[in-house]
Amino acid sequence: MSVVKRPSSVSQWYLPGIFVGLYHTLKALLYNLSHRQKMQTLDYPEEKFEYSPRFKGTHVLTVKKDGAIRCTACMLCATNCPAQCITIIASEHEDPSVEKFPIAYEIDMLRCVFCGFCEEACPVDAVRMGPEWQIPGISGTNFVKGIDFLAFRSQLKGGISSVLDDQERHGQGI
Amino acid sequence: MESKLLTEHYDKESFRTLKGYQELGGYEVLKKALKMKPAEIIATVKESGLRGRGGAGFSTGTKWSFLPKNDEDRYLLCNADEGEPGTFKDRLMMERAPHQLIEGMIISAYAIGSKKSYIYIRGEYTYPIRVVEQALREAYDAGLLGKNILGSGFSHDMDVYRGAGAYICGEETGMISSLEGLKGQPKLKPPFPAVKGYLKKPTIVNNVETLAAVVPIIRDGAQAYRKFGTEKSAGTKLFSLSGDVVKPGNYEVTLGYKLSDLINNEGGGLKSGRKLKAVIPGGSSAPVLTAEEAAKATLDYECLQQMGSMLGSGAVIVIDDSHSMVDLLSTIMHFYHHESCGQCTPCREGTGWLDKMLHRILLGEAKSQDLDQVLNVAKNMMGRTICALSDAAALPAISFVSKFRDEFERHLKEGFKEGKSHAQMHH
Amino acid sequence: MLKCTINGKEIEVSSGATIMEAYHKLQEEIAYYCWHPGLSVAGVCRMCMVEIEGNPKLQIACNTPVAEGMKITNESEKVKESVKWTLDFHLINHPLDCPICDQAGECGLQEFYMTYGKYNPEMGDRKVKKHKVVDLGSQVVLDTERCILCSRCVRFTEEVTKTNELGIFNRGDHSEIGTFENRPLNNKYAVNTVDICPVGALTSKDFRFRQRAWYLKEFETTCNGCSTGCRVNVFHNQNGLFRVKPIYDEAVNGHWMCDEGRDIYKHINLDQRLRHSKAGAQQVPLEKALETAKQALKAAGSSAALLITAQYTQEENQAILDFFSNELKSSNIFYWKNNEETFEDFDGLLIRGDKNPNTQGLMNLLKEKSASGSWKDLKAKVESGQIKTVLVAGPEMLSVYPDLNEKVTVLSKTQTIWLSTCEHEFFDQLSLQLPVSGFAEKNGTYVNYAGLERKIQAGVKFVAEALTLQEIVSAFRGANVSKTNEVAL
Repeated sequence: MSVVKRPSSVSQWYLPGIFVGLYHTLKALLYNLSHRQKMQTLDYPEEKFEYSPRFKGTHVLTVKKDGAIRCTACMLCATNCPAQCITIIASEHEDPSVEKFPIAYEIDMLRCVFCGFCEEACPVDAVRMGPEWQIPGISGTNFVKGIDFLAFRSQLKGGISSVLDDQERHGQGI
Repeated sequence: MESKLLTEHYDKESFRTLKGYQELGGYEVLKKALKMKPAEIIATVKESGLRGRGGAGFSTGTKWSFLPKNDEDRYLLCNADEGEPGTFKDRLMMERAPHQLIEGMIISAYAIGSKKSYIYIRGEYTYPIRVVEQALREAYDAGLLGKNILGSGFSHDMDVYRGAGAYICGEETGMISSLEGLKGQPKLKPPFPAVKGYLKKPTIVNNVETLAAVVPIIRDGAQAYRKFGTEKSAGTKLFSLSGDVVKPGNYEVTLGYKLSDLINNEGGGLKSGRKLKAVIPGGSSAPVLTAEEAAKATLDYECLQQMGSMLGSGAVIVIDDSHSMVDLLSTIMHFYHHESCGQCTPCREGTGWLDKMLHRILLGEAKSQDLDQVLNVAKNMMGRTICALSDAAALPAISFVSKFRDEFERHLKEGFKEGKSHAQMHH
Repeated sequence: MLKCTINGKEIEVSSGATIMEAYHKLQEEIAYYCWHPGLSVAGVCRMCMVEIEGNPKLQIACNTPVAEGMKITNESEKVKESVKWTLDFHLINHPLDCPICDQAGECGLQEFYMTYGKYNPEMGDRKVKKHKVVDLGSQVVLDTERCILCSRCVRFTEEVTKTNELGIFNRGDHSEIGTFENRPLNNKYAVNTVDICPVGALTSKDFRFRQRAWYLKEFETTCNGCSTGCRVNVFHNQNGLFRVKPIYDEAVNGHWMCDEGRDIYKHINLDQRLRHSKAGAQQVPLEKALETAKQALKAAGSSAALLITAQYTQEENQAILDFFSNELKSSNIFYWKNNEETFEDFDGLLIRGDKNPNTQGLMNLLKEKSASGSWKDLKAKVESGQIKTVLVAGPEMLSVYPDLNEKVTVLSKTQTIWLSTCEHEFFDQLSLQLPVSGFAEKNGTYVNYAGLERKIQAGVKFVAEALTLQEIVSAFRGANVSKTNEVAL
């Protein structure tokens, strides 16, 4: 005895199927017209979806209290990235307590899969996946974003502060 | 009851001069020794049961017999660094009876066949250095040192060498490094100094008291020396008694003497109104004894070792109930942190860590787990280093915290009450 | 020979060997920092503790001689506990510098931490602060906080270079490596201290912050800086070559290499290379250039001249010399020596005055061909018009051939085909330039000053059109040697 439910021969007829489908569509339409508040569709761009704080959007490079970039060019994010989209060039800093910093930090946004591995790998909270997700551009636009965009774009209002402060840590003797 | 084998004439002002020393029978033993064969002297010293009086307690005659039996140049080094906190017996001998030391050294040098010896005196002992140097000059002038001593055919040169403020230079290979002009850091063993020591030649390093004790041993014979002391710890020893006793000072007693007798008879007992809390029997490196243990202890190598402590250098520090054990341990840890030479990692880092932890415990900024941490760190510093400074730092930490745990716990709860401690003043 | 058992495996060692040497011979894993096979024993790190049967106390392996029948293990719980705590003692004052430290990925502390580490640091007190980023001279940067005081660098300057620049100052946990009165560490072997430092306390100024160690691949080859021919490891990735480190070679260089050899990777990178054939200052396709050269040489026949330097491998030398003597039937072979007066110089350690890797090899081949011409002879013949076509197997290392410009000027007056690894604007005066492979891009043999064969291998290929001399000769003989891929920077 077969347990597979095969469609009955009636349901395979063409026109009845169309009418059943239309019926479902009209039902939903009438429901939506009378319950406008409960509609799922958002009137973008007036209404925008509220993502959770853990949303993985456009990267943010955090800054230290004095405004300098937090990143120490350890390259753990570049190593961990499964799409190999991060390129970092390190350089010597005159201040011996800072010592190493990136002169170039580039993420190829078209290669990035927004997995968040870079945020996980970073030992100093220098790179985060921020809440924005709109990086529009037309063909020919350069999607390789550098420090100016990642750390200092206008939406970040001067730079997001990192939670890990080296001065504080040194002051505690660690 | 004091037994004055060594210190019999220490109260006589003239004993430090050559003339005064000779009037009281000085250098007669040297004349006797020079007529004996060197192997005889070594055998006598071995039979007498003389053990190193600097702290290690190793049989002196046995140490001498480790030297190679060839014509190689060998050196005798007298360890007058006296770095062990609480010890001041060698200073007494050098100030009052330098010739006793010199005579003992010449006899020992003759026994081991050494043509050159050094007395390594710690740099802080400016007065004893002057006295010993003067005594050496007198000895040279009288033909007791230099070429063909007393017509015997044996030539020997002796010099004073000053230290410059390092406890680690009291360790035998540390002293050898310092004498060679290098940083005073201990060397790896093997090779042992008796095989390859100073300038890669066989070297014997002995304490001041050990070398001076050779004089009565050769004078009266091995059996006469054995009449003093116990079977395994023969002879007499100078004990530096300090702390909360009425009469601190150096006292020479037989080995096996009761510790409580030393404190109450020779030391005059505790100050009035105070109770005995603890006794450190052999310098700060020796594990501390509680008052009950001190009451049962006798001053010989075996008894103290069985109790888990050691005779060490014979520096008996008496602690009464007016002192905080936390404060004392903090001071001791600070000392070892300062004195670690820094060569090998467990000691270098461990002493620093113990010092910092004890400082926090002293200021009351610690928890009970930190006391366990102290025990753990100290336990794991031991037995893994080039020299014994690491053990010397770890042993007091373990013994203080284990035996006086309640006092430490109470301190953590209540904090420090009585004024500024020594350790607090230095940080 | 003595027999002993290590971790259950039996091994025979020579009398007087220490347990550490036995472990090294057996290639068993043992933790250590201060021991180095090329330096004296210090025994200060206390990591190489082993348990010897019959001895209740653990002993260090580096200073304990092997006795007959000794049973040694470092896999017991007691040993692991000891190493765990000793490693912890190393780490309690060590700064949290892994993100900015060059040694990450090849650091001794990181390496043993995974096997023996405690994982939960229990030290809650303040760490000791010391000097960071101390400039030690032209090649080396020192960070005294990271230093674990293994004293390898001090022993190196004491025993190998015998210059005694480095020492340990202060005592206890305030000990620091340093130089007396801040004098620089400027001997010619300074970068070896960077290699032997197990942590990131000593870093090379040349390599500092340029790459992370795990991004680099390595291959073994021979240095072409001078006629010593030290065995080296060249590190690279798709972005180029990054550094050169020595490899132990008993016959020639032991454990070390000189600082001059550290720069031999720079000219192989794309920024200095001749990437395409050139006629004058104009780029020409490779096939056309090869054809032009072939025709010119065939036309000159026995009057064609070869000017060769001792910077090529034996195989290349053989190919080009054979082509000239057998096919062109020319005996105009001239040997270009760059600094003959200082060829016999030797600094006592590794650096020799002959800055060519294959002098002996080339001279042997030239003797076979009875070719004894020098630059002077060629110059005379060119200026007199006897020789109108010259093929120059130009030097790979341009910096050690200081009289280049003068020779190029002379040769620009006649038809010259210059084979070069690197680009140089002065060469644009010449009629034809062909790119050739560098030492890191070809397989071959050099013969060093003592007549020993030193092999090089092809580890990278950065310029697609670069050819070896053998390939050029086979192109002259009619083979097709066109290349299609080039590594993009």
